[in-house]
Amino acid sequence: MGGIFFILGLIFITDLIDTAGQLIIKASINKIDFHIDSIPKAFRLILQLIRIPRVWLAFLLSFLSLFVWLFVLSRAELGFAFSLDSMRYILIVIASAVLLKEKITLSRWLGIVCVVLGIILVASG
Amino acid sequence: MSARKHISFKIILFLFCTDLLETIAQFCFKKGALTAQFLKVSSLASGVDFIITLAQSHFLWLGLFFVVIIFICWSIILSKVDLSVAVPVASISYVTIPLASVIFLGEKIIFRQWSGIFLILSGIILVYFSARVREII
Repeated sequence: MGGIFFILGLIFITDLIDTAGQLIIKASINKIDFHIDSIPKAFRLILQLIRIPRVWLAFLLSFLSLFVWLFVLSRAELGFAFSLDSMRYILIVIASAVLLKEKITLSRWLGIVCVVLGIILVASG
Repeated sequence: MSARKHISFKIILFLFCTDLLETIAQFCFKKGALTAQFLKVSSLASGVDFIITLAQSHFLWLGLFFVVIIFICWSIILSKVDLSVAVPVASISYVTIPLASVIFLGEKIIFRQWSGIFLILSGIILVYFSARVREII
């Protein structure tokens, strides 16, 4: 009925919001661009990150995505929810390729398709 | 000078630990969400009620604490590898959780799930070998 499409739409929205948040954080880290080889350096990265306004936008998006996901979990059957949630991998790869200019080789594509199919098999069982 | 090297095992291990934390956080959120299960969200006001009920759950706050730790770990990982590598490799929890529930909880896994686990593992290996980490000498 309408219920399934409602849940499906919500899962799509939560994955889309989550992908946007991940993109912002990765893009910000790419801009800072330094090599971490010690714990103090790691904390310097975090301190630099949280001073970027759009990173806070990413946090906000994560919270939003979390609330939508919590709502989905309180409603939907878990196997169904987790199976559909695997579309996040496809969204992430497309976004990484288009917006972050990451080079997606054939083997990476194949790997991601395997992961998505695998999750559907595991989750729906 | 920068050189391209294969993604190190240390990062994989780090990703794995982050993923484990993520699982714990998810569990907390699921526990938190269950307390609000019987609320009917049909209007904006009841949506606010839903969030208020969630906010009273200790599991939710514990989950949020883990989220902060996960953010720190995840930032370090993303400073080393592509987003399109880190995210698929993090799907290892879809393998470890069913295996853990077989070993520790004595649950049964059907053939379809075993083939799913096999597919995910092959996928992660494919992504892993497509990844090269940027390392500055």
